[in-house]
Amino acid sequence: MKIIKRLKILPPTLREKKRFIKFQVLSEEKINYEDLEQAIWNTLLDFYGEEGVAKTGLWVMKNLWDSEKKICVIRCNNLSVQKVIAGLGLISRLGDTRIIIKILKVSGTLKGLKTNCSRK
Amino acid sequence: MQAFDMHVHSAFSGGISSLEELASTAKILGYRGICFVAYPLSKKEEEILKAEIGRVRKEFGIEIYLGFEARNVKELKILAKRRKEFDVLLARGGDLKLNRVACETPEVDILTHPEFGRNDCGFNHVLARLAAENNVAIELNFREILVSSKASRAKVLSHIQKNLMLAKKFNAPVIICSGAISHFEMRDPYCLISMATQLGLELKEAKNAITKVPQKIIEEIKKRRDEKWIMPGVEIVK
Repeated sequence: MKIIKRLKILPPTLREKKRFIKFQVLSEEKINYEDLEQAIWNTLLDFYGEEGVAKTGLWVMKNLWDSEKKICVIRCNNLSVQKVIAGLGLISRLGDTRIIIKILKVSGTLKGLKTNCSRK
Repeated sequence: MQAFDMHVHSAFSGGISSLEELASTAKILGYRGICFVAYPLSKKEEEILKAEIGRVRKEFGIEIYLGFEARNVKELKILAKRRKEFDVLLARGGDLKLNRVACETPEVDILTHPEFGRNDCGFNHVLARLAAENNVAIELNFREILVSSKASRAKVLSHIQKNLMLAKKFNAPVIICSGAISHFEMRDPYCLISMATQLGLELKEAKNAITKVPQKIIEEIKKRRDEKWIMPGVEIVK
């Protein structure tokens, strides 16, 4: 009998359409990635609840965190971009450090994020 | 996008950040201009504030306006009489009487947080109609959402949603402001737009609330500075 190890990949038309949001954290002190991820999840869960966050398909991308420039990328689905950006605006502290989040770019691909970050 | 934040408090008016800190943060966040809001001051303090604003405007290269926020009807009437001496007139919402007088007064530019400190939304269809007639913008104050939490935040959000619904229905202008008292409370214009979309505005309406509505107020400021301007709706025509 053949054992199925992995699920068959969904066809592109059935996959969730994704968006990447690139943002910068403005703060006077250094910040930790772990603190930032915790703050993002806690703020969004507080504001939208578990069911609301489940619908956004949120993913904080650890491998794209730039600790020098304090730039981070999060992924969500195309219908939740405004929802996630509004939630990011509600983050005001990471521990004792006060922060402001500046949205740099929203793109459908990671390649698109690498191009010029000028906003419309 | 040419965004403006028309409600920012500095150390001159109960805030904790200096004019420089606020202006530099606004520039970093991509604002084209901001309005420093103060409560009525003595003549001497007003002169100092105007001089400081002039200096900061040159230093940071963004548009900076001076606004006064009336806390009661008496202050509002006094400020309305000397309307030509400053840029923006705001009325601090929350008191029903002041909300009503502010919506009836064409000299007022912005009615700030009409639901402030109330158990209801402080705004109804009558006030919405008056605000639309007199071109008084209804403010969505982001600070109210930012500093509250849990049940109090839920109440604030519910009241703001009702106010926005009424403003939309009666075509009263809506403006989104940070209401910041510290430069750390200022927010990216995109965060403000996104929050407005979550509270019932369409994306285009939310963008207009942070760009076109403030621009209209600024156009009025320019008209008011003209010698021909006497009061809203009255100008000298040769």
